[in-house]
Parts: sequence; C-alpha cells; structure tokens
Amino acid sequence: MSEKRMRNAVLTLLGLGLVAVVLYLVQASGNAKLAQVMALFAIWGIAAVSLNLINGTTGILSLGHHGFMLVGGYATALLMLPEAARARISESARSQMTPFTLGLSVESWMRAIGLPGLATPGTLWVRFLIALLIGGLLAMLFGLLVGVPSLRLKGDYLAIVTFGFGEIIRLLASTHLLGPFTNGALGYNGVPGNFGTSLWWTFGILALTVFVMTKLKFSSYGRALQAIREDEIAAEAMGVNLAYHKVFAFALSAFFAGVAGGLWVSYLAAARLDFFLFFLTFFFLVAISVGGTGSYTGVLLGTAVVVFVQQYGDPLEQPYSLHTWLALVGVIIAAVALGAAWLRRSRRLRPVWHPLLFPLLGIGVVAVLTALVGSHWAPLTGTFQAFGMRRILLAVLLVAIMVVRPEGIMGRAEFSWAWVFRERRDQPSDEERAQDAWLSNPELNREASDDEGEG
Amino acid sequence: MAMLEVNGISKSFGGLQATTDLSFKVEPGEIVSVIGPNGAGKTTLFNLITGVYRPDQGDIRFEGQSIVGLKPNQIVDRGIARTFQNLRLFTNLSVLDNVLIPQHHRLRSTWWSAVLRTPGYRRREQQMHDLALEKLSFFGPRLMSFRLHQPVYVLSYANRRRTEMARAMATGAKMLLLDEPSAGMNPKETVEITDIIRRMRDEGGYTILLVEHKMNLVGEISDRVVVLDYGQKIAEGAYQDVVDDPKVIEAYLGKRAQDEADSEAAAGGQA
Repeated sequence: MSEKRMRNAVLTLLGLGLVAVVLYLVQASGNAKLAQVMALFAIWGIAAVSLNLINGTTGILSLGHHGFMLVGGYATALLMLPEAARARISESARSQMTPFTLGLSVESWMRAIGLPGLATPGTLWVRFLIALLIGGLLAMLFGLLVGVPSLRLKGDYLAIVTFGFGEIIRLLASTHLLGPFTNGALGYNGVPGNFGTSLWWTFGILALTVFVMTKLKFSSYGRALQAIREDEIAAEAMGVNLAYHKVFAFALSAFFAGVAGGLWVSYLAAARLDFFLFFLTFFFLVAISVGGTGSYTGVLLGTAVVVFVQQYGDPLEQPYSLHTWLALVGVIIAAVALGAAWLRRSRRLRPVWHPLLFPLLGIGVVAVLTALVGSHWAPLTGTFQAFGMRRILLAVLLVAIMVVRPEGIMGRAEFSWAWVFRERRDQPSDEERAQDAWLSNPELNREASDDEGEG
Repeated sequence: MAMLEVNGISKSFGGLQATTDLSFKVEPGEIVSVIGPNGAGKTTLFNLITGVYRPDQGDIRFEGQSIVGLKPNQIVDRGIARTFQNLRLFTNLSVLDNVLIPQHHRLRSTWWSAVLRTPGYRRREQQMHDLALEKLSFFGPRLMSFRLHQPVYVLSYANRRRTEMARAMATGAKMLLLDEPSAGMNPKETVEITDIIRRMRDEGGYTILLVEHKMNLVGEISDRVVVLDYGQKIAEGAYQDVVDDPKVIEAYLGKRAQDEADSEAAAGGQA
C-alpha cells in the first residue's frame, strides 16, 4: 500500500513538473495569445472549482458566484490602485469616492506601519498577495451573508436567492451606497502589475485551490458535505451539523471566488461592473456540468472546453457565404441523425434506425448537396455573420452532454493514478469471489449460517 | 435512572392527533419494541425522540436531561441514533464512507488540519476507519474487503439494511432506534437480523428501541413491548402478556374478531 502511495507521489510530482515545463515553454515561446488563454483558463478554473464546492460537493445550486468575484475583484483593484490614479479620481467631479475610501491602499498602510520596504515597486507582489487575501476574506464575509439564508431555503428557492444576491451586489456597486468603494460606474483603470496574466501566479493559485478542494473532499469534512448532497435528513440524523457545514461551504467557496476576482481584475488591468455579469457564473456552471458535477478534475476539463470555445471561437463568428452555412447546417443535421442512431445502438434501443431519423438524414444530405451544386444559385449568394455563435455552441454542448452523459464527462470520479493503472478496490479478488459465492449460496452455507447463529 | 424517559408527549398535525399523552421508559441495556397497527404513530414517536418533530406537550429525557427542542444532530451528540423505515443511505457514496460520515460529529480536528493532513488528523482518521470496520464486522464478512469501496447503490437490499444499522452504530450512540429493521427481508435474513439485534445489545452494549411488524422477531428479542393505537399507549409489558391483552387483539383484529375469539374460547371451555 505504501509502495503505491510512493509511486503516486512520484508520479504526481512528475506531472506537476511537466506542467511547469509546459508553462515555461509557453511563456518562452512568446505566443502571447496562448499565454493569455492559459491564464484565463487558470483564473476561471479557480472560480469554477470553488463554485463546485457548493454546487457539486454540497449539492446546493448557487448562481451568485459573479457577485463574490466582484467583491474580491473591486477590493483588490482599490487596494492596489497607484497614487497617480487616486489623484486623478479625487480631481474628477463625477467620482463618488471619499478621502477615506481613496486612502484604502496597501502601499500607504505599509508606510504607516513602518515597513517602507514593502512599499517599493520591487515588492509589488507582496502587496498584491495582501490585496488578494483581503479581497478573498471580504468575499468570504459576503459568502457568510448568503450562507445564512441558505439554511432555511432549499433547491430552486435558494438558487433564486443566490442569483438575486449576485445581481444586487452588482447594482449596489453602482449606487451611492457602495459607490465610494467602487468608484461607481467608472470603476478603476490601470490596476498595476501583470499578475493576472502571469502563468506562474495564476497556475500557482489554481494549484493551491485544487489542492485545498480535493484534500477537503477526501477528508471527514468533505464526506459530511457529500452526505448533505446525498440526503439532508439522513445527514442530520447522523450528527452532521447542517447549518455549520452549509455556511462553511459558502464561505470557503466565496473566499476562492474573491481571489479569482482579484486575479480577473488584474488580468483585465481594470475593474468595471460589466466584467462581473451573470455570464461568468453561467460559464462556470457549463464547465461544471460538462466536466462532471462534484469532480474537481472534471471541472478543470470543463473549464478548458469553455475557455477554448470562448477564445478560439472567433472563426465561428466571421461572415461566411450562405452556401457554406447551408452545407454546415446540413452536416450538423446529418451528424445529429447519425449520432442519434449510434446512441440508440449503444443503448440497445430497437429499431436502431428510428423512422424519424431517415427524413432527418435526408434533409441533411439534401442541404449539403444543394450547397455543393448550387453555389451560383441566386438565393445562396451573399454572406451571413452569426454573432454570439460561441455561446450558442456552449449551450448546444450543454444540451448534448445532458442527453448523452448527464453526469458529465468525469461524473463524480476524480482523476487518480489508481484509475490510470486500473486498480479497482471495489472488485473482489478471485479468492473473495469464491468466498462471496459461497456466502450467497444457501445450499453451500446452510451449516455455516447455523454456526453463525451460535457465535 | 432510566435511559430514555418519555413523559406525556402529545403531537398533532393540524386536526390529526398523532400522539396523545404518551409515556414510557427504557432502561439501560433493554430491548423495547413498539408495535401497533399502521398509522398508530410509531414512526411519529421516533421522529419526536430524534428531534425531527417537536412535541406540543410533554417531555423527553435522555439520561436525565431533557432533549426536547434540540436539533437532530444535537440529539445524536447526546447519544441517540436511528435507522429509517425506507432506508436513507448516502447512495452514491461507498459503504466505508457511509460508516465514516456518522463519526464526523465527534471529530475535533479543524478543517484546515484535515486539508493539511496533520499527524493529529491522520490519527483520528485512522481511528474512524478502525471503528467503521469494527461496526461493519458485526455483519460478518458481507460488508468487508472489496465491498467497503463499493457504492451503496450496487448493494442488495439486505446489505443496505445492514449498512444502515452499522451507520447508526458508528455515531457512537448508546441508544439505537431501529425503524422496522427487518422490512423487506426474507425469513432467513430476518432470523439473522434478530440475532444481530441481540448481539448489538449483548456485545455492543446498546440500548435498543425498535418498531417492528414481524411478531416472531418482536416476541423473540423484546424485553418489553409497548403497543400503540391511534397515538395512545394501549398496553405495555412482556410480549406474552401484551399479545393476550384483549385491547391489543381488538386494535389489530377489530371488535367482532375479539367477540368471536371470546365465544370460541367459551365454547372450548365448555367442551
């Protein structure tokens, strides 16, 4: 057993080393687009993984994650804002900022407590780390605030409350109430440092998040949270304190969401209200559903899919001629028909070729042929540009996953070396199989069960 | 001092009086059965004791202290655990996890020491693991070795029942409330579960209160029997005395059957 643990540890270290080499190569190659996409993957990964603690592990549908990110993001932006930007804001007539809120700066705090060494440009990273931490803790505070109503509500009702929270916090941020902290609709420009685009920072914090979440999942606390997901009444009857664990899940999840928000603001080098729309939470939900609800490695997989579609989906939204579109639509329809047949075959449904599949396949083939033959046909001249195709693709992907594999690609399972090596502990050895057959065969074990009655 | 003392509890749901002025005691080390026709209020009684419902009137004392108004998980902390009539296992989790979860409430490690796997936490995890195996081994080799890591949904019905009983034992409770432990089991399995319940008391030291419909099981293991009908206690005592009680026969079989039984007895006496 310990030999296997040794092997797993070595393999994990090798895997991490490999990732580090890949990150180094990406950064050294000077491919700015790729580096940017990977940083985005890491930041969204942190948020999606933390959302999975509530949605996947504890089984509470929460839709307010963008609200927690907003809190963390704005806190980080304000605490990191350079003096020059503060001066500009204080001169602006439209700003709602007060002298007090303008003074909230990690840099000036460091000077005030007599640590000028931490106020130099060279130690910007220390200040960023402090700002991230404060942003995370502030988001955690809001997590507690949302976690408390979660004790009385369940299911859809709670989802609506969390959704409402996310929207309320964004709207409040533009009013006089929170305006002094968020600079209202103007937001902050010029958040210093390139931490959000640095692969080492983003992947480092992602690794930390995944470490904490997976270790938590496979600890006693994680089991208690999963018990709540499986059956709340039974969990309580087995001594699990529902109130404590639900609020705990919300608070910890909100903390990492706040950190992700801080990185997100740093990535965009600005904090504005329209960076924290509901679409963020939607992307994370898609990532969780595609990857596997409750599986952190699955969620990373799902995040990769979402980020890939978002970032490399540009060709989908270019103008194309109509016959290209017709051919594409035809191919999709035909593919759906073939896919449905394949699905019916794998599920052993008869007939494999459902009568409705023939017209569907026919329409697809006819569309493709028309497009090929009639490229000069009058109705097919002209072009069409499909705006928003990327999100449509994500939505279609979500539907397809729900139909074919509702539990997501990974289901609830996590990636593990035991899985790679096909080591299954839930299968009997040959000896145990024989023993089991003997136990469950009343002819063989009649005498034995009588003996058992005595002992 | 009685282990569990139920003093005049009443509970109504709207116009339905589910429990009326019910009192009984359970002494340490006893096996007490609660029987009664369908709808007599047996499961309501369990829900009242375990804190799912709160009694309108009366008091429930466990080891001398009132447990009325406590939440279900606080009552587990005090030392009462239950099983459910329609199995409420954590279906997608493994057998081992199912028996580890009820030990969580006694864990004194913080969540960050659990994340960091500190030596203290590892030791407690090992203790929890050992206790889980000890409780599962009550049922022989059935739930051991490879079955430990199987999700509960692949288990047979009888094995799920056994897992649920092991789960209740793993809470560290002194008293177990078993809601129809033999429901859905065949006669052979019922005999086995009867033996298990007896061993839970003799070897495990548990005090047991159970609801059961199978009279042979009740008669074989109960020290005392409490009979409920329409939320009221109509009889209490040793199994033989209780089943001969005319009120109990009436509750189970109806008035006319009772009359017929009487006249038959009279006829038999004359012959």
